[in-house]
Amino acid sequence: MIKKIKQTKSEKVLIIFISLLAIFSFIFVFSIKNKCLFVKNNDPSKIFFENRNNIAILNAECGNVIIELYPDISPNGVKNFKELIKEKKYDHVAFHRVIKNTLVQGGDLEFGRKNNLNYTYLGTGGSGLGLLNTEISRTFNFTKGTVGFARTNKKNTEDSQFFILLVDAPLFNEEYTPVGKVLYGLDVLKKIKYDEKSEYVLRPDFILKFRMLVD
Amino acid sequence: MKFLKIIFITFVLISSANANTIFYLIKIPNLEIYDDTAQNGLKYLKAIKPFQVGIRDNNVSCSNPKKELLEKKYRSIRQNLDKYSYDFLEKINFKYVVLCKNLSVSGIEAIGFSNPKMKTILIDIGINTYDLGRISHHELFHIINENFKNIFNEIDWKDINEDSFLYSECSTCSENFGLDLIENQNGFLSEYSKSTPSEDMAEIFSFLMTRNSKIATIASSDKIIRKKINFIKDNIYKIDKNFQF
Repeated sequence: MIKKIKQTKSEKVLIIFISLLAIFSFIFVFSIKNKCLFVKNNDPSKIFFENRNNIAILNAECGNVIIELYPDISPNGVKNFKELIKEKKYDHVAFHRVIKNTLVQGGDLEFGRKNNLNYTYLGTGGSGLGLLNTEISRTFNFTKGTVGFARTNKKNTEDSQFFILLVDAPLFNEEYTPVGKVLYGLDVLKKIKYDEKSEYVLRPDFILKFRMLVD
Repeated sequence: MKFLKIIFITFVLISSANANTIFYLIKIPNLEIYDDTAQNGLKYLKAIKPFQVGIRDNNVSCSNPKKELLEKKYRSIRQNLDKYSYDFLEKINFKYVVLCKNLSVSGIEAIGFSNPKMKTILIDIGINTYDLGRISHHELFHIINENFKNIFNEIDWKDINEDSFLYSECSTCSENFGLDLIENQNGFLSEYSKSTPSEDMAEIFSFLMTRNSKIATIASSDKIIRKKINFIKDNIYKIDKNFQF
């Protein structure tokens, strides 16, 4: 005959402790795998915007980045940017150049497409629609969240590539064409894949969708 | 195609890990803003750590200067470069001044270096105060020269010299890098002037900007120098008719 042996109090505590440890380990492993876990996703339908026609929503892996465009500052640049967004040209295009906590750059429509990524030329392509003139404002400040058109070393070489600043960059004033500013979602941009050793990213993250709030 | 891929991968591998927005702009790591309040729009940057850019024979390296040295020498550079107006600097496409110490270019010690593509000059602030001013003008002239090559025609410049004179093959090929004003000029203001036409022009320009009256005296008795001064002045006025030497 087998006698039932009752667990002692300390054995019960040990079992509870091991169970809790297993649960916490599981949650921890899950959470570090999910880089977006603590990133707030902004729903534009729940936000009031004064000028809805100039609001663009960039959807990335960790959520929405809501951008206000500045047509009064850079009329031609913003017009071009809006057209590319409306034609859905930025969808599935890489964030190919990312400097950790500093800047993200994407928009190479020629060599940065997810289904046709070309590492050899990535970062050198444009829209194929021609170059834009640089639109400089002597009063605009490139602060954290500013969206600007990227270009080569020379002015008047802007096309489709753009960058978003994650820090203030006073030296960018009067250098680049300002396009707009991030209103919500900088945390989403901080989660975009970067390389510690290089500003160019191998196997980069992509823009999932880029849309105007009002089409 | 393979070659391009190798270049791209090499570029990815050698890109600086210390990138920031200044690196994004002028491709030099480990810099921070020292002074961005100049009325003419020039931005003064300082090295906060040693840096090296470029590879093998085309590398430029420099280290971070001590705060006290920087404070002592900066005023001289600023005073000299404040002579240029915002509009003039816009025309010649010059914007950034990097202040560092122990500058070397391709392994050779240097006191200044210009990178016209990046609108940047680098200055070794370890040298004496007078030379700092002159070097600033000298390097600025290289920016002008690069952006207005059609105006500062080297063939026309060479024709000013005596027929028997030949410049060296390159600016570092000469054995004498002397920057001091020499006694018997005979067409050249310093030994370094004799290295290349571009350096000769930059020397004339920098002396004009720092010792104008002395150079005017020299020009009155040296026909070649007089012609060189007129060449520089006439061409600078083509870029900006209101320029003041």
